[in-house]
Amino acid sequence: MSKKVFLICIVICFAVIGILPILFMLAKSVNVDGHFSLFFYKNLMKSGREWTLIGNSFTLSFLTALFTTIIGLPLGILFAKTDLPLKKTFAILFTIPLLIPPYITAISWLGLLGREGLLSKFLSPAMMEFISKWLFGLPGCVMILFSTFLPIVILLTITYLKTVNQRLEEAGRLVSGWAGVLKGITIPLIMPGLLLASILVFLLTLGEFGVPTFLRYDVFPVESFAQFSAFYNFGAATAAAVPLVIITFIVLTIERIFLREKTYQLRPAGGGNKSSKINLGIYRKWFLIIVTLLCFCIVILPFLILFFHSFSVDAYKEAISRAGDSLFRSLAYAAIGASMLTVLGFFIGYLIHSKKFRFWRAIDSLTIFLFALSGTVIGIGLINLWNRPATNFIYATPVIIILGYLAQYTALTSRITVSTLAQIPPSMEEAAQVSGAKWMRRIVLVTAPMAKRGLIAGWLVGYIFCLRDMGVTMLVYPPGHDTFPVRIFTLMANGSTELISALCVIMIITTLLPLGIGGLLFSRFLKRGN
Amino acid sequence: MSIIEFKNVSKNYNGHPAVKNFSMKINAGERIVILGPSGCGKTTVLRLLAGFISPNSGEIIIDNQIVAAEGKIIKEPEKRNLGMVFQDLALWPHLSVKGNLEFGLKAKGIKKIEREKFIPEMLKLMQMGKFINAKPAELSGGQQQRVALARALILHPEILLMDEPLSSLDQDLNEQLRKEILKLHDKIGFALLYVTHDREEALDIGSRIIVMKNGEIEHQAKLNIQ
Repeated sequence: MSKKVFLICIVICFAVIGILPILFMLAKSVNVDGHFSLFFYKNLMKSGREWTLIGNSFTLSFLTALFTTIIGLPLGILFAKTDLPLKKTFAILFTIPLLIPPYITAISWLGLLGREGLLSKFLSPAMMEFISKWLFGLPGCVMILFSTFLPIVILLTITYLKTVNQRLEEAGRLVSGWAGVLKGITIPLIMPGLLLASILVFLLTLGEFGVPTFLRYDVFPVESFAQFSAFYNFGAATAAAVPLVIITFIVLTIERIFLREKTYQLRPAGGGNKSSKINLGIYRKWFLIIVTLLCFCIVILPFLILFFHSFSVDAYKEAISRAGDSLFRSLAYAAIGASMLTVLGFFIGYLIHSKKFRFWRAIDSLTIFLFALSGTVIGIGLINLWNRPATNFIYATPVIIILGYLAQYTALTSRITVSTLAQIPPSMEEAAQVSGAKWMRRIVLVTAPMAKRGLIAGWLVGYIFCLRDMGVTMLVYPPGHDTFPVRIFTLMANGSTELISALCVIMIITTLLPLGIGGLLFSRFLKRGN
Repeated sequence: MSIIEFKNVSKNYNGHPAVKNFSMKINAGERIVILGPSGCGKTTVLRLLAGFISPNSGEIIIDNQIVAAEGKIIKEPEKRNLGMVFQDLALWPHLSVKGNLEFGLKAKGIKKIEREKFIPEMLKLMQMGKFINAKPAELSGGQQQRVALARALILHPEILLMDEPLSSLDQDLNEQLRKEILKLHDKIGFALLYVTHDREEALDIGSRIIVMKNGEIEHQAKLNIQ
């Protein structure tokens, strides 16, 4: 099969998996009894409640994006550009909350700040009532989603800082101190990346469903889910999902038009760029203290609380007996999803990198759009498309869960592939072509082996995101095929604190253990490669 | 009298010596060219003098003050009164020509009224007056060179460091800019430390040529032409 035909097949495949469900959903939302009608939208917008929900969603998303940007930028600079001790360890620790479902962080905070939480042993009931009210509402949601999405800003800041040509900063250093260089040169240069990070946080918060549901803060994605699962009003659920599609589309289009064009070609042509390091001098220990405290409060403390609450063998026994089957399913689905994401993401990434088709930019934007879209919206779209007798082999089986993973997370593996392929000289594939190798042979024998670091990293990232997924899975899982995060979420309604904490600890371990092992193997592999 | 002195300076990268026991003096207004092949350590000498890296051993002295010694940077780059033109020019892409020149003036606390006077003057000197609001990406290679020179000279540095600044230009433009650099040198009177691998360029620009090989000075010669 020729390169062009194969890549077109990949694009069609991606369109069927990701785009078609959304288009079907849009079409169905304006169809009542076979006729065009805006009935569901009129109904939806008639009630003042929907506008309140949209207002709540915007407030939550704006505040989360604001705080993650204000705190994430300096942390990213500290980890990427300074001589702060243990900065790699801190960067890894701050990333952990992103890797687990955010409602688990919410559960852990409840264990500390809830009416019967750990703090209740030290504070008066009136005080605990006040704190608990604070947790169950906007401040609590902002705090938890802030800790969850903070790594997005930190990691993108680090990534973009690495692309800044060292000479641009050195030219500034000849006339100004680091503070002036950061303010006048470095931060403006990475501004498009920083704003992209803020926009991603905004959109991911906008689509977040688990934490606001748990903390009883009414937001728009919950409406869609409630219409679907509580009232089984499919039309209303679909119409409630569409505003999120439109908002995501508009925000990403604005980002594309106004920001991405401003991305500067920063690296010097010769490569070999090493970032200039800032010597913190006498402030080093103060920065270390501040970062350690922040890390303890938003990463370590919540997990300590979970471990504390789950400190009973019986709790773990009960957890395994009540959710062991869903745990194994989760691991299997995540492994399958990650493998398929790696393959699909590789070819989509190859297409974007090689700019083979005129519409490569559109494909790139669509993957990002689907990633930023609420999982509940993708779930409703998938149900719309596949819930029919002829496609029951998809709808009534775990295949629909895997399709959900592919729709939502292809952006992760395709982006990793693009940055990996950018480091491979085009002459490598060209040399194989001159030697007579056909395209697929070149890919299998030259490009893919050279990109294996990116492929392994892509697999691990895909695995983590599939494992923690709840937005899509919650809606589409067939009976008897619920995953571990979904099982925890449903058990939360009537499970004991010990049981829920034990389930959360198991979830954290199953997420972090393979990542730790994979990370170790990966770093050994890199050392060997070097 | 020398304004800059390297005293037995050595620099290693991951155990590999880049510069070995390097000693050199630069006098006010002198034009020194360091000539040598890629990897001989000539750019490292510039970066040591600029203060971007510290020597593993030896001392660097500017105006009778030790600015770096034995693995330590004593005086930060912005306090050394140096100008530098980088090989890739390093013009800030997000700032206009004016913004590129203004950055240093602002950092030094020069008032707006004076900045508004100095920038057009410097650009006029470089024949770049009409490009004051252009972004670097809108300029040709030669124009970018002039902006980089203007930026390096606007704070009247005692010494101008140039790291193969003309290497990416075609022969005609290269020769033209060489003449302009010499004219500017005569007019302003800064000391010049110029790094190149091109012999012709070295002979054209330098009043003293230092030939480097494997991190050491192989030989040096003063030219009669001034």
